[in-house]
Amino acid sequence: MTNEPILSVNDLHVTFQTRGTSALRAVDGVSFDVHAGETLGVVGESGSGKSVTSLAILGLLPKRGVTVSGSIRLDGKELLTATERQLQAVRGRRIAMVFQDPMSSLNPVLTVGRQLTEVLLRHGVCTKREAPDRAADLLDRVGIPSARQRLGNYPHQLSGGMRQRVMIAIALACEPEILIADEPTTALDVTIQAQVLELLMSLVKGSNTAMVLITHDLGVVAGTCDRVHVMYSGRIVESGERHHLFAEPHHHYTRGLLASVPRLDLVGGKLTPIPGSPRDVIDWADGCAFAPRCPSVTEECLGAAPDLVPAANGCKVRCVHPATEPVSLGVTG
Amino acid sequence: MLTVRDLRVHFPIIEGLLFNRQVGAVRAVDGVDLDIAQGETLGLVGESGCGKSTVGKAIVRLVPITTGTVRFGDIELSSLEGSQLRHARRHVQMIFQDPYSSLNPRQNVGSIIAEPIRTHDLRQGAAVGQRVLELLDSVGLPRGAANRYPHEFSGGQRQRIGIARALAAEPSLIVADEPVSALDVSIQAQVINLMEELQGQLGLTFLMISHDLAVVHHIADTVAVMYLGGIVEKAAADTLYTDPLHPYTLALLSAVPVPDPVVEDQRQRTVLQGDLPSPANPPSGCRFRTRCPFAQERCAQEQPLLRELQPGHHVACHFAEQLAAERVTAIIVR
Repeated sequence: MTNEPILSVNDLHVTFQTRGTSALRAVDGVSFDVHAGETLGVVGESGSGKSVTSLAILGLLPKRGVTVSGSIRLDGKELLTATERQLQAVRGRRIAMVFQDPMSSLNPVLTVGRQLTEVLLRHGVCTKREAPDRAADLLDRVGIPSARQRLGNYPHQLSGGMRQRVMIAIALACEPEILIADEPTTALDVTIQAQVLELLMSLVKGSNTAMVLITHDLGVVAGTCDRVHVMYSGRIVESGERHHLFAEPHHHYTRGLLASVPRLDLVGGKLTPIPGSPRDVIDWADGCAFAPRCPSVTEECLGAAPDLVPAANGCKVRCVHPATEPVSLGVTG
Repeated sequence: MLTVRDLRVHFPIIEGLLFNRQVGAVRAVDGVDLDIAQGETLGLVGESGCGKSTVGKAIVRLVPITTGTVRFGDIELSSLEGSQLRHARRHVQMIFQDPYSSLNPRQNVGSIIAEPIRTHDLRQGAAVGQRVLELLDSVGLPRGAANRYPHEFSGGQRQRIGIARALAAEPSLIVADEPVSALDVSIQAQVINLMEELQGQLGLTFLMISHDLAVVHHIADTVAVMYLGGIVEKAAADTLYTDPLHPYTLALLSAVPVPDPVVEDQRQRTVLQGDLPSPANPPSGCRFRTRCPFAQERCAQEQPLLRELQPGHHVACHFAEQLAAERVTAIIVR
């Protein structure tokens, strides 16, 4: 791993403004780096801004009513000010994306082969004559049996897991430097999820590609990512190396999440839910957004928002009263 | 209390423009036996398309039963029709997966919850409103909720409304079809805890249908694993999770991610190849054989029956004993 990050997101803000309503800050000052070859996990519940961040990186947010500020640099080059033509050269070629729902992100009226070769030809990776061979190779690499015949299939002829494999093949067609996977397995069954995760990991491990894995599932992150960012209400509230983060979470939201998820390997005990709902947030301008749901809230939390500061175990945490004792999982032996 | 015997639900596949000719059937549920004792929770797990929701709906008679019996106490639910069925349904209520589409958006919460009370004549006059308020209390919603509409509530709160509606009929059995899977992670635990509390207070019996093995592990006493319309393994929850005997259960358990990097790094995984076959054209013999890593010739010829290998532990696999002997542990249970 080199010290220079390939992707560097700095103080990213995304604000949605619809007429007649107050502005909604979907992403509120997010900064992170992605280094070559690493796997980065972004965890958060719905509305935490994790998907909006990934769309902002690729410049896929609608122009109208959306304000994006901050900086997103790919190899030192600013993406936020790039022209549409420059972005098109980046999307799919240098940064590729796998979306959550493979049915709605594939074109239903084009064959799988056509959609695969489109990427290859668009970026001039190979000639028109070589394209079908390359496409079949790609399908083969993502573990689709009888790949050559599958090229003529339409998305509806494939199962959910197969479609997600096709999506991955399209994303990897141009050997991108960064693969952003936004909830790639949420729409899939557990056994298929295991297949797809294993595939993603094996493809990323064998190359220099960095992966940003966006998910709500702490379990998926625990097994796959090198570093983890936990997002809440548009900001990163805790980040760190996965072993440290899971062994010693300091932020009360991370701790709450861990204590509220039933675990397969632990028996009995009562779950400790986080009270309230993710909608019960206050604006970061008025203090910590998690304060209304936090068990250790004090008046200090409602003054100004805390900064993301380094904690003892090398993680970073955004909390006025970071917790130090281990998480009680409410478990009986 | 609930006994299901050889339940089959087949959906016909119809072809032809003028004469609707039946050309086949989707065998959504194909020979399922279940028993739930009073006050117990049975967890029914499986992946999408395995028929678990159809079993739940068949028990409440929301889909036509092809053959088989569903007996609830002394009531034979599967043979009832019309008003008798409506009366019987008071005892068996359902909680649905999607709290957004299972509540009428144009009815206020009070009237949603009051409807089962009125339908079954459980209270009269002002007592109905009083009962609605009691129910709101018991599911942890403010009393003022009665005058508001479903869109004013979050997902978790709507699921509480759904639970209150199910409780309104004063049932003894509740069929909960994926009650938490549409909810955010931090909210799931609230609803699970609520269901457990209510079970303790009211002595309810639950049939908990879910694809989430961790949730079922937490809440269920007995667990049945379904695959392609049939039950492949059934045992007490703790036994099933520590000593799975069917290769499918083993694969399912090993596929569930655990939010702990230390555990994740040590686990052995059995990753299944391929996809679920079509229930319209299931494989011969053992249904799981096309994806089973241990499949042999016998599996294609002979359908394994659900047999009791250890007391209370049923499994449908020809080679369960051998697999148990040379087992790979799916998870390390602490």
